[in-house]
Amino acid sequence: MMLTLALRNLWRNRRRTLLTLSAMVVSVSLLILALGVFSGMIHDMITSATEQYRGHLVVSRSGYQDDHELFATFRLSAGLQQQITSDRQVVGLSPRLRAFGLLAHGPNTRPAELLGIDPARERQVTRLQQLLVSGSYSVGDENGALIGQGLATRLGVAPGDELIFVTQAADGSIGNDLLQVSGVFATGDSRQDNQLVLVSLPWLQKLMALPGQVHELALALQDPLLAGQAASRLDPLLPQGLDALAWGELLPEMQEAVASYDVSRLIMAGILYFATGLGILNTLFMSVMERSREFGILMALGMGPWRIRGLVLLETLLMSCLALVGGLGAGIAMTFYMARVGIDLSGSLSPITYAGGTILPRLHAVFEPANLTTPALLLVLVALLAGWLPANRAAGLQPVVALRED
Amino acid sequence: MTQCARTLLFLTCLLTMLPASGARAETNWRRLIREIEDQHTGRSSRSRMLMQVATEHWQRRLEMAGWSLGRDYFLVRILEPAKERGVATLKADREVWNYLPKVDRVIKIPSSMMGGAWMGSHITNNDLVKESHIDEDYDFTLEEETESYWRISGIPKPDAAVIWGKIVYQIEKKRRVPQQVRYFDENLVPVRDIQFDKVQLVGKRPTPLRMTVQPLDKPSERTVLEYRELVFDVPVEQNFFSLRNLKSRRP
Repeated sequence: MMLTLALRNLWRNRRRTLLTLSAMVVSVSLLILALGVFSGMIHDMITSATEQYRGHLVVSRSGYQDDHELFATFRLSAGLQQQITSDRQVVGLSPRLRAFGLLAHGPNTRPAELLGIDPARERQVTRLQQLLVSGSYSVGDENGALIGQGLATRLGVAPGDELIFVTQAADGSIGNDLLQVSGVFATGDSRQDNQLVLVSLPWLQKLMALPGQVHELALALQDPLLAGQAASRLDPLLPQGLDALAWGELLPEMQEAVASYDVSRLIMAGILYFATGLGILNTLFMSVMERSREFGILMALGMGPWRIRGLVLLETLLMSCLALVGGLGAGIAMTFYMARVGIDLSGSLSPITYAGGTILPRLHAVFEPANLTTPALLLVLVALLAGWLPANRAAGLQPVVALRED
Repeated sequence: MTQCARTLLFLTCLLTMLPASGARAETNWRRLIREIEDQHTGRSSRSRMLMQVATEHWQRRLEMAGWSLGRDYFLVRILEPAKERGVATLKADREVWNYLPKVDRVIKIPSSMMGGAWMGSHITNNDLVKESHIDEDYDFTLEEETESYWRISGIPKPDAAVIWGKIVYQIEKKRRVPQQVRYFDENLVPVRDIQFDKVQLVGKRPTPLRMTVQPLDKPSERTVLEYRELVFDVPVEQNFFSLRNLKSRRP
């Protein structure tokens, strides 16, 4: 009975109800779209920060990520590898050895960071193979090198050219050997483009007099945002002295940037819904005022104040449910479009490096369940809050007074 | 009575001498330090050295042959161990070059790497370059004088680009040879000592043939450089210290 009554009441003033409904639909769908685009930006930033160089999660000796101490090495045993890759989140593992030294070509000498890798495994973790500007993604069996664009320019080298690497090896001797440039990459992050060189892991182990040793295991995860949980799951399984660090710990500024996005997301939702809530409040107040006589009759017939209150709230609930159907539909459709096509802004903006990540000049959305559930639940909550005042007003009417109103 | 008179006489002498010695001290100390800094090079020299390095991570024993001309040129070539034979360092003016026989290339050490270790020892590339200009870059004062030694401290000149915040030399008076040099960082914290011993006559000059570099934050580490052979005033021309000669493999 209540439901029919509520539906009929909504339908009595069709235009007003439709106007309020459309306001709700627009606010829900726009919020879903905006959150999707926000998530897209965060996703771009995290991806650029982790998948160009670091990995989502890094296993290394305690403190190694702070000082890159040459002697903080360990051996990757089959058992350790098994233990790490059996975690459900881990989708890639790349063992690496790092060395700092001088790269020379002809009269040019530059300091450089060499990362010894196994290309087949490294490409599971980083996307440098997609960022090549010339040459090919290979370090060969011997002495191939993938070199950052800035470094290549300063040394004046192109694929096929020869490089000399000089460093102090782990036995104190002067480690030196020839490299041949096989590819040049550009990440957009100047720190990597100006000093990073990828070389073959066995080659670097031999040069550094560190046979079989690595400095870190870079891991790729299914969901980078769950890296913190994966790290605390892996940490206790690791041998003494080894730590698992999530990207959030390696890049605290990035972690903060993501947290600040969460706050601005909330503020935006708050503003949007405050306006929507006022609209709902207005509609319902008008409708309650107009129906004073009706409520008076209902009360005179014996309907208690709580049922009156319930009736008005039911009307709001029905309205928000209708709005949700339309709003979710429109929101998902727009997000889908932005995820598939997006808007390219590279004509007017250049990439921005911020907090260790790169924000690409594009509007692009990513689907996240929370981006749908949060706006939906918030809308229902706001509608019920906005309905509470008119409902109270209706429930508080005196039948005699209400009946006399015209 | 005589005792008292003698003391008075001594004090009077001391008092009258002090202003005089203070006035000409500055130039003297600078000349003395220059003498000390050039003690192993002279006008020109040829040497055989044994360098033993002990660090937390490695032990090294290198035999090297060296040549020098004035304070601005020297060339050192590794003779032993076989694995590193032929690796050579050339210092010409304020530049340092390394020759690497394995890849047959010469590499200039860029300024950003001048603080790096030389041949895996506790001697840095900067030591090779800047140490020879210490008497020009610092101002010297006498800190302490005893029967046997002077202690002289060097403070960098205001506009000098230097590594050390202070250098304190302890120099034996009789033979005018250093006993110990202590190096302080820019916060005036002592960071390393160099001890000198095995003083012998080279030509006519007493010269300490062994120096021990001791980083003060790592007591278990040290570099000992010993001259097995040192000859001054050898016939060697400036063109000997060229990149071309650096590459030539003769020992």
